Amino acid sequence: MQTMELDEAALATRFTGAMVCAGEALAEMSGRPIRIATPAVRPCSPDEVVAMAGGPEAIVVGVYLGVSGGLQGHALLVLEPGSARRLAALLLDGLADDGPAAEPEAGQLGELERSALGEIGNVTISAFLNEIGRRSANPIQPTPPQVVVEMAGAIVDGILLDLLGSTERVLAAHTVFHDGDDRIHALLLVLPDPARLPELLADRPRPSA
Amino acid sequence: MTAPSALRLISAGIGEMVVSDDLDAVLVAYGLGSCIALAAHDGRRGVAGLAHFMLPTGSRSAETPVKFVDPGLEVFIEAFVAAGGDPARATYKAAGGAAMLRLGGANLDIGQRNIEALRQGLERRGLRLVAADLGGSTGRTVQLEARSGRLFIRSIAGTKTL
Repeated sequence: MQTMELDEAALATRFTGAMVCAGEALAEMSGRPIRIATPAVRPCSPDEVVAMAGGPEAIVVGVYLGVSGGLQGHALLVLEPGSARRLAALLLDGLADDGPAAEPEAGQLGELERSALGEIGNVTISAFLNEIGRRSANPIQPTPPQVVVEMAGAIVDGILLDLLGSTERVLAAHTVFHDGDDRIHALLLVLPDPARLPELLADRPRPSA
Repeated sequence: MTAPSALRLISAGIGEMVVSDDLDAVLVAYGLGSCIALAAHDGRRGVAGLAHFMLPTGSRSAETPVKFVDPGLEVFIEAFVAAGGDPARATYKAAGGAAMLRLGGANLDIGQRNIEALRQGLERRGLRLVAADLGGSTGRTVQLEARSGRLFIRSIAGTKTL
C-alpha cells in the first residue's frame, strides 16, 4: 500500500483556485453573490472523516462523482441535511423551502433539490478536477453526480473500499459556501489514486502528448 | 432499540470483531455500507460475537483481524471458541453488503462479493445463516443482544429485528 506524501501547501493552493472558479460558476447560475472557501484541507483517515461528518450513524447528504482518466478515484461533497436543503435553495431561488423551519426528515429531499445538489456537487468537484487536470496528459473525467441521503459511515465505507489496497487516506476539505453573510458548511472529500496525485500537484507544466 | 443503561455496548469498528461471554453486552457495528457484519450466538454457553468484515479476500492483519472475510472468518471462529462458544451449535445472522452508489472504480460490487465470500466461507465449514438482511442500497447499523441473540438492524428506512 502506498502512503500519500503530499505537498499540503500545493494542495491548499489548488483547492483555493478551484473554489474561486466554482463560486463564480454558481454565482452566475444562481444570480446570487456566491463564493466558496476551503479554510482547511488535509489528508485524513476514514475514521476521522466519518467523525467530521457527524459520526457513522449521522444521516448526511452526499453528492458523489467517480473519477477516471488522468486520475482514478472518487469525490464526495457531504452536507448535513438542513445545510443541503439551504444550499439547494440558493440555486432554486425560492422554489425549495429555505431556513431552519424547513429542515427535512432523513430521505426527504425533493427531486428539484436533488437535481440542484447534483449540479452544485458537479460544479464544485469538477472545478477541483480541472485545476489539477491542467498538469495531466490524460483528461480527468468525472461521472455524472449521484445524490444519496444515508448514514455517513455507510457512504464513506462504500467509496473507500473501492480504493482499499492502494490508499487509506482521504483528502478532506472543510468547505464553506458564502451567500452574502450567510454561510453553509460542507465537507469535500477526494479519494484519489495515490500513485498519481502527488505528481499532479507538482508545480510544473503539463507534459506534451 | 435503545439499550437499557445496565447493558454494555461494545463496538466492532471496520475490520474488527468483538466476542463476549457477558450476557449484558450488546455488540454493535455502526454505519455498514458495503461492509458486512456476521453475528454468532451460542445461547447455551452464553457467548456472542460480532465481526465487521470489509472485503472478501486479503492478507491476515493483527490490527484488523477480520478486515477480510477470507481469512477473517476463521479468525472470528477461533476467537468464538476461545471465549467458550461452540461454533457448530451457534446461530449465525448477517447484515450489510449494500451498494448505495454506482461506483466508477475497478472493484465493483464489493457488497455482493462480500456476501458471496461469507456464504461460501460458512458453507465450507458446514455452517449456515439462520437469518440475514443483505444487499440492497441502504446503510445499516447492527446491534447483537448477547442475552437473547436478537440482531437489531437500524437503517434510514427504520428498524428490524432478526
